[in-house]
Amino acid sequence: MSFEEETETTPLNELEQIEINLLLEGLYQKYGYDFRSYVRTSLSRRIIHRMRAERLPTITALLEKILHDPAYLERLLNDLSIRMTEMYRDPSFFAAFRNEVVPLLRDLPEIRIWHAGCATGEEVYSMAILIQEEGLAEKTKIYATDINEKALRSARKGAFPLEKMQQYTKNYLRAGGKKAFSEYYTTDHQFAYFHPIMEDNLTFAQHNLVTDGSFNEFHVILCRNVMIYFNNDLQQKVHRLLYNSLADGGFVGLGSKESILFMPPGLDYEEFNATERIYQKRK
Amino acid sequence: MICLVLALLIVMNRMTALQKEVDFVSQHDLEVHDLANQIQKNMLDMETGMRGYVITGDEQYLEPYNQANRSWLDNYNKLHSLLAKNGSQQRTLEEMKPLIINWVSNYGEAAIQQKKAGNIAALNKQFNNHKEEKVMEQLRTQFTSFLTKEKKLTNERINELRQNNTNLKITLYALVVVVTVITLATAFFLSHSIVNTIREVVKTIHSITESKVDLTTRIHVKTKDETRELAEAMNSLLSSLEKQSWIQKSVTEISLIYQGITDVTELSRAFLTKLAPMLEAVYGVVYLRKDQDDDTVYVKAAGYALADDQTAASFRLGEGVIGQAAADKRIFLIDQLPEEHFKMTTGLGASSPRNLLVAPILYDGRVEAVVEFAALQPFQSQHLTLLDVLQDKFGSAITSVLGRMEVERLLGESQVLTEELQTQSEELQAQSEELQMQQDQLQTTNEFLAMEKQSAEQRAVELKKAKDELEEYSRKLQESSQYKSDFLANMSHELRTPLNSIIILSQMLMENDGEMDMDEVKESARVVHTAGGDLLRMIDDILDLSKIEAGKIEILTDEVNVTELPQMLQNMFDPVAAKKNLAFEVVTAPDVPDVIATDGQRLQQILKNLLSNAFKFTEKGSVTVRIELAEPEKTAEYLGTNRREPVLAISVTDTGIGIPHDKQEIIFDAFQQVDGTTNRQYGGTGLGLSICREFTHLLGGALTVESEPGEGSTFTLYIPSRLESEKPELLAREEVAVSLSEPVEQEEVPPLEDTSSDEQIFKGKKVLLVEDDGRNVFALVTALEKKGVAVQVAENGKVAVDMLQEQGDFDLVFMDIMMPVMGGYEAMKLIREELGMHELPIIALTAKGMKGERDKCMDAGASDYIMKPFNINQLFSLMRVWLTEQVESE
Ligand SMILES: C[S@@+](CC[C@H](N)C(=O)[O-])C[C@H]1O[C@@H](n2cnc3c(N)ncnc32)[C@H](O)[C@@H]1O
Repeated sequence: MSFEEETETTPLNELEQIEINLLLEGLYQKYGYDFRSYVRTSLSRRIIHRMRAERLPTITALLEKILHDPAYLERLLNDLSIRMTEMYRDPSFFAAFRNEVVPLLRDLPEIRIWHAGCATGEEVYSMAILIQEEGLAEKTKIYATDINEKALRSARKGAFPLEKMQQYTKNYLRAGGKKAFSEYYTTDHQFAYFHPIMEDNLTFAQHNLVTDGSFNEFHVILCRNVMIYFNNDLQQKVHRLLYNSLADGGFVGLGSKESILFMPPGLDYEEFNATERIYQKRK
Repeated sequence: MICLVLALLIVMNRMTALQKEVDFVSQHDLEVHDLANQIQKNMLDMETGMRGYVITGDEQYLEPYNQANRSWLDNYNKLHSLLAKNGSQQRTLEEMKPLIINWVSNYGEAAIQQKKAGNIAALNKQFNNHKEEKVMEQLRTQFTSFLTKEKKLTNERINELRQNNTNLKITLYALVVVVTVITLATAFFLSHSIVNTIREVVKTIHSITESKVDLTTRIHVKTKDETRELAEAMNSLLSSLEKQSWIQKSVTEISLIYQGITDVTELSRAFLTKLAPMLEAVYGVVYLRKDQDDDTVYVKAAGYALADDQTAASFRLGEGVIGQAAADKRIFLIDQLPEEHFKMTTGLGASSPRNLLVAPILYDGRVEAVVEFAALQPFQSQHLTLLDVLQDKFGSAITSVLGRMEVERLLGESQVLTEELQTQSEELQAQSEELQMQQDQLQTTNEFLAMEKQSAEQRAVELKKAKDELEEYSRKLQESSQYKSDFLANMSHELRTPLNSIIILSQMLMENDGEMDMDEVKESARVVHTAGGDLLRMIDDILDLSKIEAGKIEILTDEVNVTELPQMLQNMFDPVAAKKNLAFEVVTAPDVPDVIATDGQRLQQILKNLLSNAFKFTEKGSVTVRIELAEPEKTAEYLGTNRREPVLAISVTDTGIGIPHDKQEIIFDAFQQVDGTTNRQYGGTGLGLSICREFTHLLGGALTVESEPGEGSTFTLYIPSRLESEKPELLAREEVAVSLSEPVEQEEVPPLEDTSSDEQIFKGKKVLLVEDDGRNVFALVTALEKKGVAVQVAENGKVAVDMLQEQGDFDLVFMDIMMPVMGGYEAMKLIREELGMHELPIIALTAKGMKGERDKCMDAGASDYIMKPFNINQLFSLMRVWLTEQVESE
């Protein structure tokens, strides 16, 4: 496969930097979407990608369109949030969660789980299936949030393309799935539908980690592959938000390439399983 | 008190005396012994010297002889005077003197002279009478007794001293007892002060030794005696100890702050904040070493009680006191700073510290930092000591924090890179998915376009047809508007005619003043009545017709009993036939069904109209109705092919005037009769046949006519039996028009039902079913074939492997586990490993509740599994997953 326009990594000139700053500022002031503290390299690539896709000559032209035409906004937002996800992404993480974390949750009277940045929901349904297999579905509430409405809409449907289901099946089995994966879905010629799994205890809502606050106290928070798009300061801010939303002894799970290196000082975490990036808040 | 002092003085005095005595005894004794020994040695020297010379004649031996001869008298005199106090010993000594002189002159000197003269005989004589030896012997004895005596004396003296000593001790003990008693008494009787002081000393010492806490405690003395001194000595010890411990404590305290600090600036600040108050400094600053290219600079890292602009930002090596301290690696202590050097500001004002301390922080021989402190009062020695001790510690802390910072920085950098990589990979994947999506879209668009093209062509054909139809339609429309205006013209004519007669006749009747006779009046009234009836019928017919045209006629399909029809018609028209003297007959064919489904009322209406017409135009002969099943060819011709339901053909034949061929088409149009004149002759509205034809259409049938002018006509009604009401052609056409004219909503995704539907997933896929149970095979094969899947069956693993080896184009394999010859596990292993088919989806069919089977399946290489008994929809779902081509992920 070739990504002609993307592999063309000409570094941004000063003017483009300014234009990008203006665009982000405009996006924030007009619509309240705050991408100003996201990692610039990635953002720039996405913005320029959008600019080219819209066949616009400059980023300023893109800004103009965005300020006046919500359709452009929608498409840019879609580009800015990369929603790459998978069911049972990093199966070993879910295996560790099942074998090491679940036993510690078992005795809680109620379990609250938050998926921060759930994208199109693959991770959420993976967790719901796991929780159900462990017999905890009755007392578990799963809250899944994302900044991206479109992603959430598709997450609510719980429908995932057939073209990916073979991979998901493999992941499920590797993550220690206890049944035949096909017991959880029905299909038509395009999608596999995962309803109804924990339907009553599954809530999807829009939530922006940058601008919105904590909304409950959780025993588990998964925020995987979300903060990699944030710069250092923002990562610290979000880490604090997560820490403050966690019950004592609660767990936070990060993506496989993330680390608590950028955590602000003073967050009292124990490395519960460092390789799988599972950390426990000290009691 | 005084007596105590006196006693002490006496004791002291005695002690001095005793000491003197001891000194004397040891000194005197030593000297006496020494001198006595000297004299003895002199004698021995002389004796051996003399003998040596006599024997060898060597002058050398005379040397010690002469020497001893010279010094013995000296020693004697010294000893003599030493023994001045001891008469008896002196006398013993004096007794020995002549003996010595005698030996020297009579033996020593004599022997030497004789040797010199060579008088051997005299010599031999001298030695052989042993007189010389005897003298010597005597001398030795005397010396020994002298020394023995001297020793005895010494012992006596020592004994005496011992006695004195013991006495003194006793005195001392007595004194101590007395003093203690007095002290206690004094303490007890007079004041508690001393005790208190002592207690305090004791307490303080205890507290210090036990608690090790407070070295600042001091003994407070109120008295002015020795206890005060003791206390003060104690206090000074304490304060030195305190200094020591202050340094120790400060060092520990400062070492503690290093813990957990990961940043040198923060470290410097913490160091200053802690140390400045300890040094009683009012200002402090830390400069850290920084290597810039080849230069070493000391850059300000933190300040204490300082505004930023108050200090220089950096110094080069050797520049200023800071730079110099770094270069020399030594402490600079400056007092008496000029007042204007700098000012310390507080909220209330400013003052100038006059004392400055600049110290390099050395670690591993390198100056890592330079600290500077300023104080209002001079720095103390312990301050310098503290700084000295801290140098190393602070230096090592700086290096370790710097090291840690460097490690952290590198870690951070690598983490940023890792995350950047991850975002890039996610972006790439998102992009590849986007691309894939675009491709898919493109493909579907292409497919759509191809389809569009096809359908466009088809549409072109359809359009052409529609155009033709439209043209036809507009022609018809023109015709029909023509027809409508004709209709109106006709209608007005038709309506006017009877109305005219009514108006005229009724007017005549009105104006009748008795000129008309009764018959005339009756006749007029009859004509008016008939004309009124005609009008009414005409209006009914017009209404019927317009209802039909507007589609407002409801068709009520019901069961109509065909057997009752003849009787009904006969009842209706027998009177007419009799009146016109015509034969009337209804004939029913035997194969006609008893019952058909249609609207009975409309059917009656049609037949009534046809029969009325027949009777109207027939003057002689007969009218015949025939009810029979329609011949298939006729049905096909008039009603189209593929009719399964029975169609009745009811014909009405008359022997009347007939219809000319060219008029046979128009008779069904409204107000058309064969010619305008027939109207007058035969009466009627002229609408009857029109209505018949429309009703027939509504019933899904057809109406035909065959006629020979002058011979009669046959109208044939074809009427189908239909249970479900089929939509009449007219209405259907209207609906089509409606649906065409409404704008079709544009769907986001082009509907491609037939290209990507479920059928596409299953149809034509080749599946291998490996299963030995016949019933299962039957069930599965039936289900799969229904979906259009091509299934082949292998009854065990061995057969399956062989089949796969022969034909490699299976899309999916279902693999049972328990089979004869070769089971599922082994077969799967062979397929994966031996045949190398790694991608082929293999679905294991396992039995429910078999523990560990799942893992064994996966290990053997199954792609997925499903547990028997399973739901067929689950199987199809799973097949959809494994038959769908996957998008590449990573
Ligand atoms: C790469 S996906 C990760 C999905 C999932 N957690 C996983 O690991 O598979 C990142 C998601 O974070 C969301 N996101 C980005 N910025 C966010 C913000 N400020 N608040 C909430 N979600 C955000 C994006 O919309 C996107 O769906």
